[in-house]
Amino acid sequence: MSSRASIERVLFVLFAIFMMSVPWSVPALVSSFWVSVITEILIWSLFAASVNLLFGYVGLLSFGQALYFGFGMYGVSIGIDQLHLGFWPVFALGIVAAMTMALVSGVFAVRLTWHYFAIITVVFSLIFYFLAVRLKPLTGGDDGINFSMPPTFTFDHSVWSFTDPTFQYFFILLTVSLCFYLMHRVIHSPLGKAFVAIRDNDVRASLIGLNVYLIRLVAFVMAGFLAGVAGALFAFFGRYASAAYMFYQVSGEGVVWAIVGGAGTLFGPIIGTTLFIIIREVVSTHWEHHALIVGVMAILVVILAPRGLVGLWSDRLDRLDKDAAELPSTQPERVPP
Amino acid sequence: MSAPILETRSLTKRFGGLTAVDNLSLSLEGGKLHAIIGPNGAGKTTLFNLVSGLLRPDSGKVIFRGRDITGLPAHEISRLGIKRTLQVKSVFSSLSVAENLWITYAGSKRFLHPFRNAESDRAARDRVAQTLEQIGLTALAHRAAGVLSYGDVALLEIGMALISEPQLLLLDEPTCGMSPAETERAVTKIREMARTIDIVIIEHDMAVVFGIADAITVLAQGAILAVGNVNEISQNERVREAYLGRPEDEDYVEEAAHA
Repeated sequence: MSSRASIERVLFVLFAIFMMSVPWSVPALVSSFWVSVITEILIWSLFAASVNLLFGYVGLLSFGQALYFGFGMYGVSIGIDQLHLGFWPVFALGIVAAMTMALVSGVFAVRLTWHYFAIITVVFSLIFYFLAVRLKPLTGGDDGINFSMPPTFTFDHSVWSFTDPTFQYFFILLTVSLCFYLMHRVIHSPLGKAFVAIRDNDVRASLIGLNVYLIRLVAFVMAGFLAGVAGALFAFFGRYASAAYMFYQVSGEGVVWAIVGGAGTLFGPIIGTTLFIIIREVVSTHWEHHALIVGVMAILVVILAPRGLVGLWSDRLDRLDKDAAELPSTQPERVPP
Repeated sequence: MSAPILETRSLTKRFGGLTAVDNLSLSLEGGKLHAIIGPNGAGKTTLFNLVSGLLRPDSGKVIFRGRDITGLPAHEISRLGIKRTLQVKSVFSSLSVAENLWITYAGSKRFLHPFRNAESDRAARDRVAQTLEQIGLTALAHRAAGVLSYGDVALLEIGMALISEPQLLLLDEPTCGMSPAETERAVTKIREMARTIDIVIIEHDMAVVFGIADAITVLAQGAILAVGNVNEISQNERVREAYLGRPEDEDYVEEAAHA
């Protein structure tokens, strides 16, 4: 096994162990406040992953993913607040709402590419943002909807619900992990290879028989699924939904997280999201212009590391592998004759 | 004479005021290596774009083996067995050499599994290995296509053409930008493929065309100027005129030759 693969495996195991221990280790080391920050990072990583699936793998830069996040959020909130449904039905409702919206807007959006695609995704999200702000009876407008959580599981004696912070954390961790695992499977599947082929050269892709339009649409709906799950989880997590999360600024943050972390890599969005949310949490208590730091960092990364932080890291590891491979051949030359 | 594999009937394509392909009626019979030549702007690549579905004609028909394929989307035409290469060598640069072949093989299938591992398909894997062997790129199988040398990209293109199992292969200037040695290698490969596949080739390099083509169609300004075999075309006055310039330009040609 190459040193790169083994280093990454060790890091992944350590990361997994840390994530499993968060509800106990983090309050002991810092404070329980950071448990909820980490939960939030998990959710927003999934949101950044939806940007990444489109931009990093299919080559479509969407500035409108907040729309599907918002639909996931409102699906849950309206389901609980107005339809009085249980946990699982509203979870499904949020995801289905987001995917349906992605399908409807995707039918139009994926006909376009590049800036036209970016613009149409923004336009769609703006239309529904303003609709959500206006439709106060349904969405609560700017004030949003507050609701109380229905239980997740009820057995004879015990009730499992998000009111237990440890249960909430593990439910979100499990769901996010499952989504990332699904994305991993998709990336390495025939469909995933077709995504990359289309990103590289869409004309050539159509000439080898790939239905570029349909495959882009499938990717768009899949991205809608990821954003929808993120939105639904965020609604559960905050017991709250608001039109503010459908604004294009939220979409833009997802794009920055994905690109800075490393678009086209599975873990890039997690790295980017973690970095920026930690900066936000640490800096915003001292300085209100923390967005300035985000902006400067985004610009620096785009210029200095076009493949993001994960790209920088894997380049370094590749060099390590290369050095290791070259070592045996260079050593004998040093031996004097 | 065998039945035509590819026909166009009164095919016309205009770009604004320019008529790139002008009322073109071609009939290419099967079992031959056809070359389409003509000066720049003669409409050769536009013709390929119309046949392969990248462009829709303004009028006229494209008929492949007796079937009207006019206006079908590119991927459907590809699935019928018409494969083509582009003038500028274009492979999928971030996929590996093997993956390029693999996706070309899988591209024609209607269903791309979203969750199964791409490498688990044994038949596809064997086919990729076999094609790698054929084009001599086995050693570079896991190299990203984007970092290959120009000659290797050309070989990969040929491999992609082979693995796609074409019934009709359209090659747009396959030797464009190649060194003489690379050109020779490519010509050998094309001649080899032509034994089993119907090929239409667009080419600027006359040496290449006269070396491999069974039948030549000369286009000028979107219309047929001449049709014939190598001998007929090389003797044709009008072709010489279109290609080598009119008599009044000859001084200039000579001057250039002496410079």
